[in-house]
Parts: sequence; C-alpha cells; structure tokens
Amino acid sequence: MANGIEWRRGIAPPLPAIVAALAAALLAVTGGAAAPVPGGRFHFVDVAREAGLTRPLLAGRPGKDHLLDSAGAGAAFLDYDRDGRLDLYLVNGWRLDGSRIVERGTNALYRGLPDGRFEDVTAGAGVGGEGHWGAGAFVADFDADGWPDILVTSFGPNVLYRNLGNGRFENVAATAGIEAPGWNTGAAFFDADGDGDLDLYIAAYITASLDDVLQAKRTLGWKGVDMVAFGPFGLKGAPDHFFRNEGGRFVDATAEAGLEDKALAFGFAVRTFDADDDGDVDLYVANDSDGNYLYRNEGRGRFREVGTWAGVALDEKGSAQAGMGLALGDLTNDGERDLFVTNFAEDFSTLYGGLGGGLFDDVSRASGIGPLTYKALSWGAAAVDLDHDTDLDLVVVNGHIYPQVDRHPDFGMTYAQARLLAENRGSGRGAIFADVTGEAGPGFAVRHSSRGLAAGDYDNDGDVDLLITNLDAPPTLLRNDSRTGSWLIVALEGDRGTPNPVGATVTITAGGKTQRRDIAAGDSFLSTHDPRPHFGLGDAGRVDELAVRWPDGTRTVVKNVKARQILTVKKGT
Amino acid sequence: MQRQAQTASLGQRFTGAAAVVVLMLAAPAFAETPAEMVATYRSLADGVLALKQTEKDLVRSILAAAYAHAGVQKERAAKAIAAKDAAGTRSAIEALAAAIAEIATEGDNSVAAVRKTLIDGGHHHNAAGEAQGIYDPGYVIVTRAAKAKLLESSRAIAQTLSSPDAAVLDRELAKIRPVVQELLQPSK
Repeated sequence: MANGIEWRRGIAPPLPAIVAALAAALLAVTGGAAAPVPGGRFHFVDVAREAGLTRPLLAGRPGKDHLLDSAGAGAAFLDYDRDGRLDLYLVNGWRLDGSRIVERGTNALYRGLPDGRFEDVTAGAGVGGEGHWGAGAFVADFDADGWPDILVTSFGPNVLYRNLGNGRFENVAATAGIEAPGWNTGAAFFDADGDGDLDLYIAAYITASLDDVLQAKRTLGWKGVDMVAFGPFGLKGAPDHFFRNEGGRFVDATAEAGLEDKALAFGFAVRTFDADDDGDVDLYVANDSDGNYLYRNEGRGRFREVGTWAGVALDEKGSAQAGMGLALGDLTNDGERDLFVTNFAEDFSTLYGGLGGGLFDDVSRASGIGPLTYKALSWGAAAVDLDHDTDLDLVVVNGHIYPQVDRHPDFGMTYAQARLLAENRGSGRGAIFADVTGEAGPGFAVRHSSRGLAAGDYDNDGDVDLLITNLDAPPTLLRNDSRTGSWLIVALEGDRGTPNPVGATVTITAGGKTQRRDIAAGDSFLSTHDPRPHFGLGDAGRVDELAVRWPDGTRTVVKNVKARQILTVKKGT
Repeated sequence: MQRQAQTASLGQRFTGAAAVVVLMLAAPAFAETPAEMVATYRSLADGVLALKQTEKDLVRSILAAAYAHAGVQKERAAKAIAAKDAAGTRSAIEALAAAIAEIATEGDNSVAAVRKTLIDGGHHHNAAGEAQGIYDPGYVIVTRAAKAKLLESSRAIAQTLSSPDAAVLDRELAKIRPVVQELLQPSK
C-alpha cells in the first residue's frame, strides 16, 4: 500500500523525499499507488482490471452439474524472472455446455511491471497449462538451479513447468514422473527426508473420468427443495501421492514413506511445517468430509499419521468437516503456530490452536472465528498482518458450490459471497477476532463465488495485497491501501541462489515481540503465497534481531535491522 | 372413481371378494411364490441379519483390541515414567493417546475407508441413529456422545507429553472405562 506517508523501499535504493513524492504522485495517476485512506484502518481496492488481469477463469457449466464445475482453481505469487517484483500465475478450468466442451481455458502468467500493472507473458513463457483442466499452482525451485518452477495440478495429468531462466518454461512432468493423472488438487514441495532436495506431496479428490464429468446430472436432493451436483459422499476418494526427489526425477514413495491415504479421503489443501519443532518437516492435509491428516515426520522420510489425537483431524464435537483451504500462523498470539481450516456453509471454519509439541486444541468458538465463518462456504485463507500491528489477521474468501441456492433466499445464503476480513484484536479478554469486512473498503464489498487466495506484496510497498480467483469471472487483485504501521519483508537467497528456499524459517524480535514465519510452497486453497516472509512491526523502527533457520539447519543472525525495507539475506553471510 | 368405490355397498363387496376366491381356487400353482424362492429368501434374510450382527461384533472386536492396547500402553507408560525413560514414556503415551482415538473413531484411517465404501454402497448400519444425530454416518457402535468423551481423553493424555504423570493417565483411563464398557456390551 502507499498511504502518502510511507515510501516504496525494498530492492530500490531509498530516494530523496522530494523525488519519492513525485514518484508517488505519478504512480497515483497510473494506478500503481493508492489514495489516502478515507475512513477506517483497513482499506482495499480491486485493481485487477486496471492492472491488466482480465482473463476470465472458467469453471464448467453455469448450473454446476458436477463437483468439478464448482471446485475452481488457485493462483500463485512468484518472481519467475527474479527482477524483485512479484509476478502472478493463474490457473484456469474449462467451460462446458451440457456434455460439450466449449472452451479449454488457458492458464496465465502475468509479469509484474514497475508501474503496478501486469503483462501477460503466458504464450512466450509457454505455461498455458497444456489444455488441461487446472486446479492448483505451487511454486518452488525443485531442481535447485536458482529459478522458481511451477507445478500445476490438474484434473488430468499434472504439469511441472521447469523455469529455464530465460523467460521460458518447459513441461517436465512426464520425465519427472509426477503426471499422476486424476483429479489432483492441493500440493506442497518440501524436503521430507532431509537430504537437501525438494520432495512432493499431491492430494487428490475423487476418482472421476472426463466422461463422468461431461455426463453429470444434478441428482442430489438439497434441503428437499432443489437438485444439485452429487457428491462427494457416494463417490470414491482418490489416493494422494508422495514423490521422493531422486536427483531431479521423482519416484512414487507413498507407501514407503508411510503417507498412504488410507481413508481415501477427499483431499484438498496441503501445508507443510515443522508442527512439533523437532527439526524436520511435517505435513498437514485438509480433507473434505473426512478427518484431516497430520503426518508427523519420524525422521529419514518416514511419516506417521497422528491427526486425531494431535487434535487437528476433527472439530470440537468430534465430527469430520468439509476441509477446503487452510492458513498457518500464530493467530492466537501465544507464540505457537495455529492451523485454520476453512469448511462448508453452516459450519464453523476451524481454528486449531497450537499447544506446542505438535498438539492442538479447537479454539474456533473461544477465538470468535467460528461464529464469524458459520454461514459462508469458505475456501482460500491467509494469516497475514494486514495493518502491521504485529498480530496476524485472517482473510477468508467464500462462495457456495450450488448456484441453486439463489432460488431460495429464505435459507439466507447466496452463491456469490463476500470475503471475510477478521481482524486480530489481541489475546486479551473476549474473542480474538472481529469482523471488519464492512470497514475494509470497496474491495471487500464485492461478492463472487471465490476459491483461491494468494497473499503477497505485489507493489513492493511493504504491505500485503490479496489475489483472489473467482468462478466464471476474472480474478480480483485487492491492493492494500490500509493505514499501517512499520514493516519488514525478508527476501532469502539460499544455496546456489535459490530464492526463498522452502523449509526456511525467519524469526524476528522487534518492539519486545517475537514473530516467526515459515516458507512453504503450497498453502490456502490450491494456491501459493508470496514466499518472502512479511512482518508487521507496529511502531518499531528497527528489528532487534532477525534469525534465519535454513532448511539444512544452519542459521544466519542479523542484528539491528532498519524497518520499512525489503531485506535480502544470503545464506552464508 | 375413488368416490364410487367408497360408496359401493357391502353386498357388492362380498360378491366381488367371493369371485376372487373362486378364481384363486381355479388358478394354476404358478400364482404362488415358489417354495424354493421363499426358502432361499429366508436363508438370505438369516444371512443378512447374521452379517449385520457380525459387523457389530467385528467393530466391537476392533474397539476391544484398541482398548486392550491402551491398557498395555498405560502400564508401559507408568513404568517408563517411574524409570525416567523419556523416550519410552513418550512412545507409550503417544500409543495410548492413539489407541483411545481409535476407539473413538471405530478404528484407524483404513477402517474409515471401509466405512466409506459401505456408505457409498448404501449400507447404513445406524440409519435411524444417524437421522437422529446420535451416530456419525457409517458408525456402528460408537455414539457421538461416547466419541466426544473418548477424543477428549485422548487429547488430554497426549497433552501430558510435556510433563508425563502416571496419575493423570490413570485418571483418564478411569474416565473412559465406563464408556468403553457400555460400548462393548453385547447387542440384543
């Protein structure tokens, strides 16, 4: 955001104030900067159209006859050309008319420009999605050559776009061995076995053929008043996959690693993090209508599923929920990381409060986030400090899967739904979260049937913006024009120049408070956030100490860091 | 038509019924369900009911095995705590928490896959209980109330990992004992 007080910093050297003022004025004219916030603290404006993000995201038939029509696709923030500005990748589906394929949507890679707009470079980069019905976008430098690569999961074979470093990509999924045709959904790159390279977990939803999709009819009675798309109950779950990286080629090691999807759960979102802080990476999978999985890393690439007794499989009543998306972070302000999982309408999205040691407790009700999410059907989520007051706010994007709900206004639900901005108000008495959606500017007032959400500072002004995918519509890019405090963004450079290596952790202490961020490739719903750790610093002008724990366990510590900058930290310095 | 039938006289009805009886007496034997089919259906019915009972017994066996495993792990944990064997304590407490969670969920994720297959095939052992909100879909023995208590104890046990205490483990097992005993009661 640019509120007229804080100047753009980061990779560019600081400008003299008068030059910066002129630059800010110019950016305001071109749409790259924001006007001062008129009212409350939060203010978001949809700048997708003026930024050039106009390609509609296709999603099957208007009536949503099959669940695939309603599932939608994700998005990713990445810096594919390593110019210091974020680029965007948007996954697309198909448009159907009855059983006829009308259009196979093309995925889009948008290159970030200095003026805040984006240039569509899809064709030149060769990343259109190979004609598949796309699902998620996951970014990591899987071959450790210093250039971020893109995994696109699909209904069909997955696509792995290897970044050639010259603005072009090549699909190496077949030779890499990760095509795994099916309805693939969430995924995450992570170093499962501690050997220094990135392995890959890909969740899958249901077993379905293209013919099943094309011939689908709405045969499920909904609330006794309408017929809607059938499933997922009554459909066969598809097994998830784990691929071990063996020198750039992936080998299916699902059973060997103890990662068999034994319940054949309807898998959607995947997130890796060191849940029990024992130095290796654990894996969480949010499942739709089944218990969620927490695979604890037992060392050397062996996992054990512990979700139920660890407290993250079921809700407070012991029921499996319809897990869609997720977010990770210290949302309860106690120093432990918490897991937030979005769920179906007329049910809480669930906040599993971290207790330490890899254990969690359902605090949805006490934190206030459960009641705030009850009515909506929720998907992508992000735990980000949007106002830089040092705590993590929650953004949730919503939208029903049945367009038929609009015929029944008495149910109090709509197909297109507003997003939720839940402000973190600290850990004092009462609920932690308050709904400030109505005070968050015009960007939060618009309703869509939204799915994916990626958070990132696309304009490098220090605050976090929001990229949202919507069914049968262009995406939304919410520029953050909020009144914010101080901030710090950290850009890591690992071995062989790998930017923001997956599995690295950044911890800072500023203003007497310690904050931590984990870098992951795969988050939210089918999406990947800006990999650069972002911190709100409140009034602090400096960070007392910044510590990076690199994926190999080595550490880099930097003291007395000036705030309001994008700080690059290189491994070994 | 419906009104005319309702107003037909008693005499008319009797005459009609007598005609049907006469026709039946004169009708060939194929109008009856063949005895072999009836016998087969009777056997099938016995089999269906026996299978349903077998399903209950099998699920009870799963619960009983998990409960027995929990008892063993509790003893193991107590010994490890007394011996100040940190690794052994951790392993036993985790296994104890997992065993109780498995009672709550009527088995592990592999059983969940079987349950899903049954639901997908239209088999609802406790359709009435599900409709009343007493059972989760596909659950055979464990009610929602029992499940909640078992999960609470499982989590409470896991939370002792940071400061293991044999007395807490005893207390949690004492809490769930009547719940499990109730679940393991032979069905009618």
